[in-house]
Amino acid sequence: MMALAEELHEYSGGVNELLARYGVKFGIYKNGEFHEQLFPFDIIPRVISSEEFAYLERGLKQRVFALNEFIRDIYSDGKIISDGVIAEEFIYSGKGYLAQCREISPPKNVYAHISGIDLVQAKNRTCYILEDNLRIPSGASYPMIARELCRKSLPSELLGKYKVADNRNYAELLRRTMDYVNTGGISVILTPGRFNAAYFEHSYLAELTGAHLVTCDDLIVEGENLYFIDYSGKKEKVGAVYRRISDEYLDPVNFERQSLIGIPHIFDIYKKGNVALINAPGNGVADDKGIYYFVPAMIKYYLNEEPILQNAPTYLPYYEQDMKYVLEHFDDLVLKDVAEAGGYGVVFGNKLTRSQKEEFIAMIKAEPRRFIAQEVIDFQDLDIYEGNSRVPRKADLRAFVLMSDEPVVWKSGLTRFSRNPDSFIVNSSQGGGFKDTWVMTEEK
Amino acid sequence: MGYDGGKINMSILSRENSERLFWLGRYSERVYTGLRSLELDLSAGDKAKNLCFDEANPETISYSLARAYDNAIVLRDEIGTETFSYIQMAVYEMKNAQRSGTPLMPLQKVIDNIAAFWGMADDIIEDEHARGIIKLGKRIERVDLYSRMNSGSEEIRREIRRLTYRIAKTGLRYDAERVKRLNELAKETNINRQEIIKEVESLINFEEI
Amino acid sequence: MQLNFAEPVREHHFKLRCFPSSDERQKISNEHIKIFPVHFSNVEKDSFGNLCIYGTANQRHNLFAVNVDGEAEINSDGKIPAAPNKIGLFKYETDLTRAGLSLREFHSNFETMSYMTGYERAIYMMNELYQEYFYTPGVTGIFTSAEEAFSLGRGVCQDYAHILLALCRLERIPCRYVAGMIPGEGATHAWTEIFDAGTWRMIDPTHNKICDDSYIKISSGRDAQDCAINQGVFYGGGSQTQEIKVIVNEILPQS
Repeated sequence: MMALAEELHEYSGGVNELLARYGVKFGIYKNGEFHEQLFPFDIIPRVISSEEFAYLERGLKQRVFALNEFIRDIYSDGKIISDGVIAEEFIYSGKGYLAQCREISPPKNVYAHISGIDLVQAKNRTCYILEDNLRIPSGASYPMIARELCRKSLPSELLGKYKVADNRNYAELLRRTMDYVNTGGISVILTPGRFNAAYFEHSYLAELTGAHLVTCDDLIVEGENLYFIDYSGKKEKVGAVYRRISDEYLDPVNFERQSLIGIPHIFDIYKKGNVALINAPGNGVADDKGIYYFVPAMIKYYLNEEPILQNAPTYLPYYEQDMKYVLEHFDDLVLKDVAEAGGYGVVFGNKLTRSQKEEFIAMIKAEPRRFIAQEVIDFQDLDIYEGNSRVPRKADLRAFVLMSDEPVVWKSGLTRFSRNPDSFIVNSSQGGGFKDTWVMTEEK
Repeated sequence: MGYDGGKINMSILSRENSERLFWLGRYSERVYTGLRSLELDLSAGDKAKNLCFDEANPETISYSLARAYDNAIVLRDEIGTETFSYIQMAVYEMKNAQRSGTPLMPLQKVIDNIAAFWGMADDIIEDEHARGIIKLGKRIERVDLYSRMNSGSEEIRREIRRLTYRIAKTGLRYDAERVKRLNELAKETNINRQEIIKEVESLINFEEI
Repeated sequence: MQLNFAEPVREHHFKLRCFPSSDERQKISNEHIKIFPVHFSNVEKDSFGNLCIYGTANQRHNLFAVNVDGEAEINSDGKIPAAPNKIGLFKYETDLTRAGLSLREFHSNFETMSYMTGYERAIYMMNELYQEYFYTPGVTGIFTSAEEAFSLGRGVCQDYAHILLALCRLERIPCRYVAGMIPGEGATHAWTEIFDAGTWRMIDPTHNKICDDSYIKISSGRDAQDCAINQGVFYGGGSQTQEIKVIVNEILPQS
């Protein structure tokens, strides 16, 4: 791998220049103002052997399968609750549960069309799942375009030496996922607009899939169907909406009433089975940080299989035994507020002053349901180039699983790394960068 | 892959996007013709520089380029990443020019990029209407600019002819009477520039976004 | 129901939830619904099983009106069957039924009587509430939470219902909010349903009584928000007022 890094390094400037040329950016709000920023790219890829990938693939499919089944169960019979596997309090008092979604069957019973599963690798090479993102996971476009631009700027004999699975099929997989659930009509990608952090991705995926990029104003419900209105006023029926807009802003008549955006009645016709919403509304019930704790149990419950991939060791202060452990090992743990995302609401026990620590413990005791605690994993760092020197950084991997007639794990993924040497936070909104993820097709 | 010289396939176009295409055409032309006429005076110093680079001032080229970018960025899936990239590069070159002690070279690159943008748009965008709307924006802007800049009568006549040919092909609703009137104005020996500006600005009823 | 807008509105999207439907307890017949103006409308059941009509009124209007009339026949023991695996969510507080300090303190003074069923417990708490809380219109609004309403000491039927639900949920007793009608002329009424041995049973905290056959149910949910009579968005409008007029007359069985 040393050789690979050195070989690639001299082309780094060229690839980054192309990323700038094609506007590969993300949006960020600073002091209430919107800025577009280039997403820093490091040319040394994360390399996953075909063997490792086969193992990940099995584990991820299994996990997403169980999660999809869980969402279906929760909004219908709730067997996993009545059988005592998950305490109902974690479902009904969590923010992710949407009562409006009870008794709805989405087209083809797919809830988790596109899942972004975050993993880390520990120094002992074990992979741990950190988080399941089943609402609007973003990021696939970055490694996809980075690969394309590497192919443009690297000598072909260099790339030819490495047998890497082509990751540019993401658009095709996404298209297949949209087509699979489409209820008749065109497929569209619904964006909240240019001032969204992931706007580049929305527009790029629209370009590559051939699905129209639309905003709420372009869509209208009439009778029992959803339509796209073209510039001459002609109506075109829409059968699938890959919406990059969160549940609460989807439909002001059914969800957030104060919302100025959204498509009135889209939820009503979705309930009737007349349009597919990708991903399904209400998925938040399954990617809550508290529910994460129960995923291994879910896999056993629904599939009658042992989980292939492990969670990071996690404790729920809600349970007395876990609370005791958390209080005794506070300094070794990382604590997460289940309601927060994007790297916010994460606290390392050993970074707190004594009074902060006391305050935090009081908070946990008052609202045990609100927090989870995890062992701090000894990450396997990845090298990045800083100028001409190679330095290690914390990194995670977001793997993408796309559901059509069966779950498919994309042979790549978004590898994010932290900006600062001492930081564990890899989120782009907090200054991190990204790498391509190479899945090898054969062993060397 | 759309940005790799592939064709962008469009069958339907939203109202908002058709307006954006139109303004993308107009603003890119405003940058191009603006820069070509500004080129010679730029050595004159700060005053000329201000006319070029003050992004808050709607009279400047930087302002027009920023508006072209605003429209292009949301049209990535319509015009293609490759086409979009030339507007993006023009923006970078504009920033370079602003920082540079010798801005003419980077400004030439802005012109080059706009020209490449048009070429790429013409080549990549398959939908006739979408392509036509960008071109129409460009044609309308040019008649307008040439009339304002005191270009020669022959040049203005030529641009009115090109506009007349283009507008019929876009599928947009426009005022045919005004096109007729515009062509009559073009025939007059002493061209009435104010009237031409008035007519050409009223041809298409688009809100600016 | 009638909405009056000071300025005309257009592209008015509505979802109405003001249509009593038949269930194990009540039988609705001869129901006539008129909505004006309307461009399109459709019927659906929301996730709580309530009958809804959603639609759009495109043309400009200052007045939006809904008329519903029909007959309800009720002759039952007041119990509505409930599937035990579908009631979990009704045990947990919502924004409108969250007990704060004052409700928790009120609740802490209750006697603990472990031999009581949840339903009996709810009736006990309803009695306690009735002693402490006073019916006064105009003090609270539709977005007033149980905690706020209780702190004010006065409120209307919606507040009585929310407070009782908040108290029941402190004890994890499954309970629902009910919007409906009672005999006479006036506005809609609200009460509660308490889960008891596989059934929902209605009690009315405003009148401190078990609901009899004169109560006609329109909808039920976790709180008043789930039972909103009208949810709408539109362009324009200025200030708006909503008028709801309910008339319930008893038709005696023909002998």
